[in-house]
Amino acid sequence: MTPTPATFARLAALVLFGVVLQVAGVATIHIFGTQPDLVPLIVGAVGLLGGSMYAAVVGFSCGLLIDLALGQPLGASSLVLTAVGYAVGRYQEVRDPAHGLLPIPIGAAATAGYVVGFAALSFMLEVRGPVSASVIREMIITILLNALLALLIFPLIRRFMRASLVGDPRRRPANAPTGPLGLRGLEI
Amino acid sequence: MFSRSPVQRRRAVLAVLLAVSLVLLTVYFSEPVGGGLHAIQRGAGDALSPLETGASRAFKPFGDLVGWVGDVTDAKKENKQLKSEVKNLRGQLAQLATDKHEAEQLRALTQVSANLPANAKTVTARVIAHSPTVWYQTIQIDKGRSDGVRVNQPVITAGGLAGRVIATTNGNARVALITDASSAVSAEIMPKGVSGIIKPEIGGKDLILDFIPKNSHVRRGEIVVTSGFRSGELQSLFPRGIPIGQVGSVNQDQLEVYQRVRVRAYADLRNMDFVQVVTSNGSQQVTAGAPRP
Repeated sequence: MTPTPATFARLAALVLFGVVLQVAGVATIHIFGTQPDLVPLIVGAVGLLGGSMYAAVVGFSCGLLIDLALGQPLGASSLVLTAVGYAVGRYQEVRDPAHGLLPIPIGAAATAGYVVGFAALSFMLEVRGPVSASVIREMIITILLNALLALLIFPLIRRFMRASLVGDPRRRPANAPTGPLGLRGLEI
Repeated sequence: MFSRSPVQRRRAVLAVLLAVSLVLLTVYFSEPVGGGLHAIQRGAGDALSPLETGASRAFKPFGDLVGWVGDVTDAKKENKQLKSEVKNLRGQLAQLATDKHEAEQLRALTQVSANLPANAKTVTARVIAHSPTVWYQTIQIDKGRSDGVRVNQPVITAGGLAGRVIATTNGNARVALITDASSAVSAEIMPKGVSGIIKPEIGGKDLILDFIPKNSHVRRGEIVVTSGFRSGELQSLFPRGIPIGQVGSVNQDQLEVYQRVRVRAYADLRNMDFVQVVTSNGSQQVTAGAPRP
């Protein structure tokens, strides 16, 4: 991603829209007894598109906004999502994967990292009561749902951020090659 | 600062973000509920509230649609579960009804066997096959020689007399019902004590009590039981006092020496599940021999 004000504005809009949509909309949908989670998918998608630094910042921002919106302990979600974003971003930087179905494993891995990390942090911080075994079932279903949802969310985010991407083969050149009338297309 | 390599910058950003998160967590948990971070959180919640409300309203139709799909899926699942439950309950109900029916039959059978002599011995058996024709009114039971069942032993069922054993194997036996063409049972009408021979009415549902003297006044509704007569060496196969049926009608033909009495059998011979074979009538073991009335 090119670090321009437009890029940051898009990322900010993405974070705000994603978190509000998650908190106010998607969280009300129950599929197989649990709900999908857009936030780790957003962080994972930004990690694939922009690398570790952008993903870490987006993860931190999403986490902070979620904690603010939901009244959770400030810093808990942001800590986990920062780590998740950084990990996905590093994976992209080191391996540079390019496969059509990549959103599925990345979405699943980002979601797994988030739900497991957040659960572990919650245990460490304040959960004291008995925990039902169905928590694990819900976590697994969320991961599977998100893996499927990633096929939809990742292309949408890529499309939304396309203007900020560097060297995106799908990106249309800003200026079409021109030349004297009659010689266009001959690369003179 | 700008001379730092991308790797250092990346790591620095990560470290800063993680550190900020940890500081936030630490401060959040260490401060009271009215502290600064809590206040910021409340303010942010208020600020985000309109956005959340708008998003919630905008998203509601989609949420309802997904919810409807989920409800339909749940309803289908529940429907399947309930169908399975109904199936199980129907099975249980059928089993209970069968058990009840069998218990009633056994209870009635016990009442009939109470009419037997005090030290009579019986073997309870389950009916495992019915003869499908009207000509051979026989049943097969699941007790045989190994259980002490022998040919010519009387068989009773709920209501009264059922027939006698006509063949045995080690594990089962065949019983000729009193409605079988070969059947003849010495019987008497109570309380008058008029004796006769009970024979089947071929193709009909009733029994015929024959050889009743014309001067005997037989009335409808009177009870017919086995007479269990004994005359020297000759002895009835059937112990005395087993109910057979009740008088239905009396036919007095002027040309006949005897009157014929139509008897309605007490026992429901077409719907028997259990019978009792009288293996000993109290005086002596009922053993195989030539069929005698």
